Amino acid sequence: MNDILLRTARKLHNSKKYRTFKTFTRDCLTDDKNPYKKYLDIGIIFLIFTSIFILVHEVKHPVPVWMDFYDFYIVAVIFALEYLARLWIHNDISEMILNAYQDAKFIDKSFSAIDPLKKGLIEKAYFMVTPSAIIDLLAIFPTYRPLRLFRVLKLLRYAKSINQFVEVLSSKRFELLTLLLLLLFIVFTSGIAIYVLEEKINPHINSLFDAFYWALVTISTVGFGDISPMTIEGRSVSMVIIISGIAMISFATSVIVSAFSEKLHEVKEHRTIEKINKSDSFLIICGYGQMTKMFLRRENLSPEHYIILDKDKGRVESACKEGYNIILEDASRTEVLKRFDTTHAQVTLLCLIANDIENIYITLTAKAISRKIQVITRVNDTRMIKKFEHAGADHMLLPHEVVNNMIHIAITQPTMYKALHAVLTGKDVAQVYEIHVGIHEKLIGESIESLDFKEYKLLFLGIQRQGEFLFNPSKEMKLEAHDVLLVIGRKISIEHFRMLHKGDA
Amino acid sequence: MIPSKNKILIFGYGNHGRHIAKGLQEDGYVLRVVEQDENYYQQALKDNFESDLIDMKEDEELNRLNPHHYDQVVCVMDDEHHNVFLTLSLNALFPNLNIVAISDSIYVTHKLRLAGAKKVIDMYEVSANRIHNILHRPIATKLIKEFVVNKHGITFMEMEIPKGSFLHGRMIDEINFSKYDVLLVGVVDFERHKGFEFVTSGHEHHLDEGDIIVCMGDVEKLHQFKEHIEEEEESL
Repeated sequence: MNDILLRTARKLHNSKKYRTFKTFTRDCLTDDKNPYKKYLDIGIIFLIFTSIFILVHEVKHPVPVWMDFYDFYIVAVIFALEYLARLWIHNDISEMILNAYQDAKFIDKSFSAIDPLKKGLIEKAYFMVTPSAIIDLLAIFPTYRPLRLFRVLKLLRYAKSINQFVEVLSSKRFELLTLLLLLLFIVFTSGIAIYVLEEKINPHINSLFDAFYWALVTISTVGFGDISPMTIEGRSVSMVIIISGIAMISFATSVIVSAFSEKLHEVKEHRTIEKINKSDSFLIICGYGQMTKMFLRRENLSPEHYIILDKDKGRVESACKEGYNIILEDASRTEVLKRFDTTHAQVTLLCLIANDIENIYITLTAKAISRKIQVITRVNDTRMIKKFEHAGADHMLLPHEVVNNMIHIAITQPTMYKALHAVLTGKDVAQVYEIHVGIHEKLIGESIESLDFKEYKLLFLGIQRQGEFLFNPSKEMKLEAHDVLLVIGRKISIEHFRMLHKGDA
Repeated sequence: MIPSKNKILIFGYGNHGRHIAKGLQEDGYVLRVVEQDENYYQQALKDNFESDLIDMKEDEELNRLNPHHYDQVVCVMDDEHHNVFLTLSLNALFPNLNIVAISDSIYVTHKLRLAGAKKVIDMYEVSANRIHNILHRPIATKLIKEFVVNKHGITFMEMEIPKGSFLHGRMIDEINFSKYDVLLVGVVDFERHKGFEFVTSGHEHHLDEGDIIVCMGDVEKLHQFKEHIEEEEESL
């Protein structure tokens, strides 16, 4: 027995086909980023709706045989396959067996495959009793018609808002549970009371079930009126439950409302972050101050490409009023930054807080999460530059220095100031542009003379090559891969140039 | 290099003032620092600047400074309110002053312009633009910054075409700047209009005496070129 299990486990472990298939299935079913998951979801949702349609149609009309066949076999079989696949990918028993075997060998202990097998099966059993798994299981069986209603519940998996609703309610679990216990207590006592008091007199109360049913209908203030108390004692009891019912309903409402108002901004935040994570490059801006305002005004970013984090409530509110994409979070906390997808997307972090210490901390936090995050940070005190370099900031911006330079130029080189202002602010028609020579581009090997920048109305300044700037190089110089050409000119000239020199060699 | 505009009056010796004053002093400008804060005033004296301690609210004291004898007036006090107030008072007293002022928001920028400042540099606007440039053109931004700040190596320089220069009366295309190892970036042509224009704008330029050309290149080459254009004949 041991041997057979071990051999199978090893075989499965070594089989590449089996492993890729299992990962593929897992991705299709659970990974939101998998392209096939969308189609699978749409397919399942389609099956659910057609099945429900047949169920409703059946109530009044005879159903053709093929529809029944479809409902009984095709839908049921696909659902069964889905259920089994979910159960299968939940954990990996063969791996568990192999691991246990290696552990046992390591400490020279006799190996038994039964323990890990048991453990794996128990894990699967736990999965089977989760609500969604139970719904999936019940949705498979079509023979007993009312069971098919569970197919509707299968939709829950695809309705994110319902999950959030449940999440919100579960945050008030304690209050709601207390309320439920109180409700049960009142229904129980008043049900027994009415049963004892009226069972013999009232023709409608025949059993204890009738009594509880009456109590619940009354306490909920629904009051169908199919059962009503006839004696003075019975009516007194109902007066008491009506009053306690009103109290309880208002209590329950207030609990749920407060749960929502507490969680609403969290839910909203969650949505915002999810939306941002879908784009393949975005900016995280820390702090909503003067500089951020200016930057946003200048940049005109679309909302799925940036998000502002600020921990001050007043500033967040004012940014919301302006219509910016902002959430109330402290960017220096690792959990906050971890919520952003840094593996798939190109993330740039802008630390624009007026406080250097906070900026350093955020820079470090970001770099600790992933080196791939590009950090551009504001530095207010020149003495901090070294520390920012240590923290790994990619670019540093010294507002005071920038301004001092501008003033200096405005005084010493007034003509240049205008030109530079235009170049640096990008307001005028002409700007400084970079042309990146890629790896496969036609540009490689071309001499500078042959490019004839003048023809494009471009002014060629030089080449940035391996961290060095070659100013106005000789005409014979040949371009190499990864060179960056610096040119001044108008946007259309640049685009024209890029278009003509694009493509593979 | 002593520029033609060389006398400068700086109001404020705080966060910005002291750096700007130092930079200008290195470039050979004659400076006078004015402060109303005792500590900053002492600091300015310690740094060997000619300084005055005045009460900005008093027009008398402003008058005594003779701001109209200076080529540039720079308002870089730490408090923006003071800058606006000062610009306004100076402009009321001496309407033709060349005032450069610093601002920290678009509202202040607007007020400074209304008050009569010729140039207003908005700290946050400039910074925001810098971020924009870092995001879109990281290498160019870094290099340009170096060119601008550099006192050695490659930089920009503007020069006026002197009387009797060989450049007078020539078209830009006729002149081979690259043999001087400089690059002509742009021209202020007084024939057309007073603004700066990049050479790449596509207009045919006719150089005249008094036009200002902006060149880029190594500092020494630029100085050589500047001396060279004073000659009547193209020697190379």
